[in-house]
Amino acid sequence: MEEGPNRYAVELESVSTYYYGEKRPAIQNINLKIDVGSLALIIGPNGAGKTTLLETVLGLLRPREGRIKVLGYRIPKEVLKARALCAYLPQDFMKPPMEPFTAREVVAMGLASNSFMGMLSDDDWRKVDRSLELLGMLEYANKPFGKLSGGQQQKILLARALVREPKLLLLDEPFSAIDQKTRSYIVSEVFPDLLRKGCTILLVSHDSESLLINPSVIIRMRDGFVEQVIIRNVHVAH
Amino acid sequence: MFMLLINSIISGILAGGLCGAVGAMCNRLRLTTIAFSIAHAALAGSALALTLGADMISLAILFALISATILGPLADQLRIPLDLVSMILFSMYNALTFIFILSAPGQVLMTESVGQLLWGSVLAIRPTYIAYLLLTFVIILAFLTLFWGKINSLLFDIKLAEAEGVNVRIYKYVILIIAGAAITLALRMTGGFLVFSLLYIPAAASLQLQANMKWIIAASWLLGSTSASMGLLMSFLYDLPAGSCITIAALIILAGASVYSRLRVSLAVEGRPR
Ligand SMILES: Nc1ncnc2c1ncn2[C@@H]1O[C@H](COP(=O)(O)OP(=O)(O)O)[C@@H](O)[C@H]1O
Ligand SMILES: [Mg+2]
Repeated sequence: MEEGPNRYAVELESVSTYYYGEKRPAIQNINLKIDVGSLALIIGPNGAGKTTLLETVLGLLRPREGRIKVLGYRIPKEVLKARALCAYLPQDFMKPPMEPFTAREVVAMGLASNSFMGMLSDDDWRKVDRSLELLGMLEYANKPFGKLSGGQQQKILLARALVREPKLLLLDEPFSAIDQKTRSYIVSEVFPDLLRKGCTILLVSHDSESLLINPSVIIRMRDGFVEQVIIRNVHVAH
Repeated sequence: MFMLLINSIISGILAGGLCGAVGAMCNRLRLTTIAFSIAHAALAGSALALTLGADMISLAILFALISATILGPLADQLRIPLDLVSMILFSMYNALTFIFILSAPGQVLMTESVGQLLWGSVLAIRPTYIAYLLLTFVIILAFLTLFWGKINSLLFDIKLAEAEGVNVRIYKYVILIIAGAAITLALRMTGGFLVFSLLYIPAAASLQLQANMKWIIAASWLLGSTSASMGLLMSFLYDLPAGSCITIAALIILAGASVYSRLRVSLAVEGRPR
């Protein structure tokens, strides 16, 4: 394990986040350190605070207390630098049929966000197509995003996340609409490949869909608290 | 007279296009009511100019730009949607407009100036006005082309763009200020009540075309240009208020776009092999 400031991809110290106007924190006194290159599975019932935790890490929600570091950057001070290295797949992301964006455009946005002024080179467009192909979505590249099924939209968003070649990938129940075959392909091929490249994955899940996964750490949440952290001895091939 | 006609057609093409493009973006961002606050800020500014005997364009632009600038931060501070902040400012500006007009010296209500303010007029078109339009045109076109990748991402989904490190707040504020400039300038021709026709009708017509976002903005730009220049021509020919003619032209174009889109769909269905 490497030493120094960047041993951890995510560090949370006594973090509590309140939604605006709420008296009760949605997550409370969270202390976590996630090693670089690990796959962390976050589980817990609905309302446990899993989504809130991810959005707090990304700085989309501002914690009332505590300190956060993502890939060595302080949140929220250096949040834009941190986000440039992250990719996020939000929970239940669906768009209506008339959306004026094609699947390929949606994936390309993942690169535009990082590039200067949002411009893409030919090489970038090739990356976009490769990412679509990886998830078997290349044949839908020119379809309007909203006219794809829920599972297909999720795959496009995953392609958008992957094309960014993130150092930290945050996935919020990414498999809710994805078929079993694709799910096991992602878990057994895509994830290990990312981990080998040094990417850290935070995967939120509330059910057994995670059974196939072999996480290096399991974080169990309940009522806004981290109830249990199980560190497992998983060997990731280097 | 001929020069005025040429100038007003040029202004129509520029201002109509700007409003069309801005309208399509605001519609996508669900900011359709921002036009109300910005247009009526300009109206209040013009009314104040009447009272003080100052220059109408300058005060109108000043008021509108202040509004466009404070809208975003105000919504963030008050934690209410931009749409709602916009309607609050709209009410405030209307109140101010009436007070300014009624406290203006002399029989202002009867004058050409108030008519110009409310219904718009081609007489408002002067070389400096065209210069302002041209400048705004260049700025908006440059912003859209240079930053298109990020703007497209923002228009697709703000939260996702934010999560990926796009500075969405700055982009949103810039879009608001750009919208403010376009609306204020168009207002001189259409008047305070009918500037909305150029913001909403071309945007609605462009949605009929079922294209991607870039083409929707381009189409809205083109349709706005066409509506405004056609309307101004009509206003000249029949000596009718510019704003009303522009609105009617825009409505005709919307009807045309809707018929076209239906035809296209039914042709596509018939053309399919059975
Ligand atoms: N926008 C919001 N405003 C107020 N409370 C919220 C909001 N979103 C979530 N919550 C509350 O925060 C808690 C955690 O929610 P969430 O993080 O979405 O849970 P999970 O993702 O584990 O299902 C819940 O009690 C929920 O009711
Ligand atoms: Mg959730």
